[in-house]
Amino acid sequence: MSTAGTRRAAIALTLAGLLGLVALYWMVFFWVPTEVNQGVVQRIFYVHVPAAWTSFLAIGFAALASGMYLWLRDERLDRAAMCAIEGGLVFATLVLTTGPLWGKIAWGTYWTWEPRLTLTLLLWFIFLGYFMVRNATEDPEKGKRFAAVVAIVGALDIPFIHLSVIWFRSLHPEPVVARPDGPTLPGDMLITLLFGVLVFTTLFFGLFLFRYAVEGLRSESDLRARSAA
Amino acid sequence: MNLTFGPAPRHDTPGKNMKKFQTRSLVLVALGLAVVAATGVAQESADAVQNAGLARQNLRPYWHVFAAYSLVILLIGGWAVSIARRLKALEDRLLD
Repeated sequence: MSTAGTRRAAIALTLAGLLGLVALYWMVFFWVPTEVNQGVVQRIFYVHVPAAWTSFLAIGFAALASGMYLWLRDERLDRAAMCAIEGGLVFATLVLTTGPLWGKIAWGTYWTWEPRLTLTLLLWFIFLGYFMVRNATEDPEKGKRFAAVVAIVGALDIPFIHLSVIWFRSLHPEPVVARPDGPTLPGDMLITLLFGVLVFTTLFFGLFLFRYAVEGLRSESDLRARSAA
Repeated sequence: MNLTFGPAPRHDTPGKNMKKFQTRSLVLVALGLAVVAATGVAQESADAVQNAGLARQNLRPYWHVFAAYSLVILLIGGWAVSIARRLKALEDRLLD
């Protein structure tokens, strides 16, 4: 896709995502019923879970692009991985800030070292570590290869985060959507959650494409600077 | 008409009876007022405690939900602004 095409797609997706975000906020505050046991604080669920899903998507996408970069050595794949990791860091930060706000009311504490929280924090450090490793070497090509390995290793954390609530004793409830016997959420709540997932995914890809266009321009700028020298 | 409480004293004069009746009535009214006042004060303090507790229970989750939904706008908006600034800086550099 050309840079102009990438930007057009980015604008379309980001606008769709922003409109979707407005609709999601309306659904959360005016449409979906309040959960009986937890009350109003349960509404954090509709941004917390989509943010978690998007951060998983980001690391999965980055791992795929990184694996292909290590194989094909195409710079565009490395750029795509880096942009996805940046988005993943934003959404993982959302997970780690909205979760404790919910946990303080539901569990009585902002933070506890239970398996899912700890593994999610590990994922956040992997996102951060990607950039540290990338910039830690004098040879940029070596940094890109090391960072690609970090992204692939980071993606291995996802199944552990998902299954930690089944394998270990945890404060988090067992999955309510991704279950072998189907979702256990009531219809209204499931629709709102799935819409939230769609909105966050659209926003992620919209902003990811913008970020990718920035890297395309940076590459062009560097090329011009080299040829001028 | 016998206005005293309990069996009427047979040997008291009507004036003495009226005085006893007034005294007893005053004591009863005073007791009643004391009970009403005590109940009112107790009710008021219980209400205050209960209302404060309910307010804490009800408003605190609202604050947390507000903070969570504000964070979504701030973080995603912040990322978008950061990308836009980088894009503009690069476009300016390429135009130069």
